[in-house]
Amino acid sequence: MAKSVITIGPYHPLQEEPELFRLTIEGEKVLNIDVMVGYNHRGIEKLSESRTFDQATFVIERICGICSTSHPFAYTRAVEDIIGLEVPERAKYIRTIVAEIERIHSHLLWMGLAGHFLGYNTVYMWVWKLREEILDVLEALTGNRNNYAMFKPGGVRRDINPDDISFVLKKIDGILPTIEMLKKAILDDPVLHARLKGIGTFTREEAIDYCALGPTSRASGVARDVRKDTAYGAYDRIDWDMIVTENGDVFDKAVIRILETYESVKIVKTCLQNLPGGEIDLNITSIPPGEGIGAHEAPRGETFHYVRSDGTNRPVRHKVRAPTFMNLPTLKATVPGCTISDATIILAAIDPCYCCTERMVAVRSPEGDLLYNGDDLVRLSQEKTASIMKRMGIK
Amino acid sequence: MKLPKIREIIEAVKALVHKPYTSNFPFKPHVPHPNFRGQPVYDPEKCVGCLACEEVCPSDALSHKDLIDDGRPRRQMIHYTDSCIFCGTCEAACIVDNQGIRLSQEWELSFFDRSTAFESIEKDLQLCEMCGSVIGCKDHLTWIAEKIGELAFSSPTLYQSRLKSIGIIDDNIVGVLKDFGRSDRVKILCARCRRKTTLTSDIVPFNLIGDGAK
Repeated sequence: MAKSVITIGPYHPLQEEPELFRLTIEGEKVLNIDVMVGYNHRGIEKLSESRTFDQATFVIERICGICSTSHPFAYTRAVEDIIGLEVPERAKYIRTIVAEIERIHSHLLWMGLAGHFLGYNTVYMWVWKLREEILDVLEALTGNRNNYAMFKPGGVRRDINPDDISFVLKKIDGILPTIEMLKKAILDDPVLHARLKGIGTFTREEAIDYCALGPTSRASGVARDVRKDTAYGAYDRIDWDMIVTENGDVFDKAVIRILETYESVKIVKTCLQNLPGGEIDLNITSIPPGEGIGAHEAPRGETFHYVRSDGTNRPVRHKVRAPTFMNLPTLKATVPGCTISDATIILAAIDPCYCCTERMVAVRSPEGDLLYNGDDLVRLSQEKTASIMKRMGIK
Repeated sequence: MKLPKIREIIEAVKALVHKPYTSNFPFKPHVPHPNFRGQPVYDPEKCVGCLACEEVCPSDALSHKDLIDDGRPRRQMIHYTDSCIFCGTCEAACIVDNQGIRLSQEWELSFFDRSTAFESIEKDLQLCEMCGSVIGCKDHLTWIAEKIGELAFSSPTLYQSRLKSIGIIDDNIVGVLKDFGRSDRVKILCARCRRKTTLTSDIVPFNLIGDGAK
């Protein structure tokens, strides 16, 4: 049968973000997939180097609209790593609370979108209605539904009022029965079992080879979670479980996200009930020369930040690696072999966030040379001119 | 299989009976949560025009213009509502007990013409009586003088600002002191002119240059 290529994107009414998929198909079967990103490069790293350490937090926050706590969390940890200080206990708890409420809203968002892709629009509507309650909680705690402006190097910007704690606990307790209903409705549904089990299977070996992160790796049985692996925030002070499943298919990725929502609810409630008193900010005045790294387990996987300081009030180098950067290549392992109709949900199952991923990448050849450096580009351009001249018979 | 269906039917019936979750927005105004971070608003009474907010603003949404050419020297403090991200850094950095610029509950900020997307207040500026350059806002000098108490009497710029603000002296003090020695020091001066007048005594004030030429 003849092969053909389906091109989706980069600008498509169905896509939230600009990205290009090229599916090589034979009949109904997908033989190969190419994902191309780079349509949304915003120069965030350069922008952050032009701001002070404190101001850069707000730029970092806008790398991603959904994980707008994860990036500042990793960035502030990187800056604190340069100085080598521990933030106050209360600030740690507040950071953890905001990060976990964000995880609930991100996972709910994914559940809704997954329902939409599978034709379960009722799930989509119900879950997103539930997510509104979570966004209300975030508005009450931080002052905004998104881009919370809570983090700063050395602590947090806003304290949690005792009055708000009861409001938040009430809201979270209020949504638990609905999450429970949705969990059962999704996990009991025989159609979803038939539709998702065994689709896009990502084995444990592949997860290790591809360095997959977050729910994508945990669904394949690789117990990899920054919150457990390194002690930060309040994660080592409270009791919670890492959810790991073995099969690595789309169904398991959904299970991971649903069950993680429960863990996040548990963490938020424990943190709010045991919120310690004291300072929330260390008021950092200067940052010494040096370099620091920071990581945080975002809803999609590990977010990694590297910051270098030369002793001034601005970072000289800031490098960001978003989780989708590692999870996107896993599509090469999961999509080929499936049908076109399954490709949508497999693509969605890694919960991709393309605009986070838009980083400048230099690829090295085995000899160690950068492929296509500036000279190569000039040479290519000159060769093309020469070939056109040759074709036209001009000397 | 039976039980799940009943569970979902209950939810569906509930959804049927309940009114829509979405609010009837344009007809019923939306009231944000009291903790909501809306757009920052200057308090013209409390703001002293020190520009600390402009210094820390991460999105360059705050700026100022010094208008000194039209007789009444004043500083226009501008807040661009289109580039503001409502982060609250300005409020946190405000020197007058975080009261000079405060986040409000305001969130309806749409506009048709981007050039009108700003709000501003004006503060009176204090110019150097010698060279005419900008020292700072009058309220800012008074605020510093109040803040440091009697230490302000080491600087004529500060104590004169303070005494003027509480009405003890007026602008004619220079005229009264004209015949006394080193009266040029008892003036509101910028840092450069203060250094000059302290070290030398034969500087002709700029408002006398014209008379001298006649």
